[in-house]
Amino acid sequence: MTKKETKAAARQRTLRHEIERIEKESGAQAIAVALHDLETGFEVHYHADRWFHAASTIKVPILLGVFAAIDRGELLPHSRVHVRNRFLSVVEGIPFRVESGRDSNSAVHNAIGKMMRVDELAYHMITTSSNLATNLLLGVIGPVAVNDALRELDVQDGIELRRGVEDELAFEKGINNLVTADGLLRILVMLAEGKAFSPALSRRMMDILHGQEFNQGIPARLPKGARVAHKTGEISTVAHDAGVVYLPKRKPYALVILTEWDPAASGRSRTIAAISHTIYESLTHGHESLTQGYESLTQSLPDE
Amino acid sequence: MSSSAVFAGNAGVNEIPTFPLRVVDGLALPPDYRKALRPGEDWKDTNGHPRQLPRYFYEVPSWDTAMKIELSTHFLLWEFIQVDVREAPPLRTFPRYVPCAITLLAVCLERFREAVGTLVHISANGGYRSPSHRFSKDATPHAWGTAANIYRIGDTYLDNRSAIERFSLIARETLPGIWTRPYGAPIGYAEDHLHLDLGYVLSVPRDVTS
Repeated sequence: MTKKETKAAARQRTLRHEIERIEKESGAQAIAVALHDLETGFEVHYHADRWFHAASTIKVPILLGVFAAIDRGELLPHSRVHVRNRFLSVVEGIPFRVESGRDSNSAVHNAIGKMMRVDELAYHMITTSSNLATNLLLGVIGPVAVNDALRELDVQDGIELRRGVEDELAFEKGINNLVTADGLLRILVMLAEGKAFSPALSRRMMDILHGQEFNQGIPARLPKGARVAHKTGEISTVAHDAGVVYLPKRKPYALVILTEWDPAASGRSRTIAAISHTIYESLTHGHESLTQGYESLTQSLPDE
Repeated sequence: MSSSAVFAGNAGVNEIPTFPLRVVDGLALPPDYRKALRPGEDWKDTNGHPRQLPRYFYEVPSWDTAMKIELSTHFLLWEFIQVDVREAPPLRTFPRYVPCAITLLAVCLERFREAVGTLVHISANGGYRSPSHRFSKDATPHAWGTAANIYRIGDTYLDNRSAIERFSLIARETLPGIWTRPYGAPIGYAEDHLHLDLGYVLSVPRDVTS
């Protein structure tokens, strides 16, 4: 083993130990982390093949499916889509609607009856996690096309897209979208490297991810110079964040943090931010700096 | 596309058409348009009855034109031709073609608007859409230009039984022979808009000579 490999192995051990400690202190039922540093090739995989309910992180693969259709010429970014709040459950095709109160984005709901552009819907789907926009886009391209796109790009492992969002009947039957940390990481690395269809389309997707408005997870404890292109996901039992962290004067790193919780538990965003901060410290200052405890890592962060 | 124009020649003053759009024979359109519009073809409805599709269309040269042309006092042409990415590609760009019966629908909607006393909003994909539109499974009067999906009247969104049935009743009382889709979720019903239509009406303007 070379000196460099030894150092990387030691850093991996330290990071895994720190993540494990944060996991225990946080009270989370499960945590998975996947990291790939494009600067050094350094990686960490902590329970990264464990399946989680995807929540809204599934919108990243759907974004990929939308851009696959754009790449094929089937859609244009300015193609127009009828905004209609009526979808069919995968369970017996029973109609359902996305409740406007459960969707943080009012812009799409306000356009019901009218049309919005594909790129507008994609933006709302990611930046404010609009469920209505998500189901509208999925209605246009179809889940099969998304899964085909994942296979075409060889990033299908660790992603199970089975339905749209807010399909409560499917949720009750246990038909859910699932992801692993490694599955999402592969997509993010591909996007960061500009290899999703083309550098230009990869950049457009990254631009959308950069517009993320929910920043209590990965970005929360990073320095001001950090830019994060990411997607969060949260339901009663999970809280996730998956993104690419850009720091000055170095290549970015891709990071996925998936967490599972008791519905009554708190401290989800703090935990994700703490893990993100730990990884940032390790990548920028070395593992020797990781001596502070979970409490100090999570200080000054508001609970959700 | 002057060769497809079928106005009668030597029209007298009283016969000069005042409607600014040109009538075209769908059978004279280029193949990709004919394939999408299927002019004059039979198309079976949900009960298996063949219905003859429109052959004559108004040619809409631009969106700007559609925004300016009044089909009735309160309805502009653009409101009837909003289609999304599910429409056949040739029919998403201009010139666009809309069945001549669209003017009859506009007159009916004008009367309906008078009855409800406020703005009537036609939804995207809810006016004319071609038989090649992805929503078109069986023959639908939308492909005849004689159907409208109304998603909002004034400030009322038609997304519940009460609103849909209330305005459906007004439509049926106001417009003799109009058909409205009953409220409900199954195919053939509507739960997030009021569908009304005049049936499979074919309109052949007097100017047509072929």
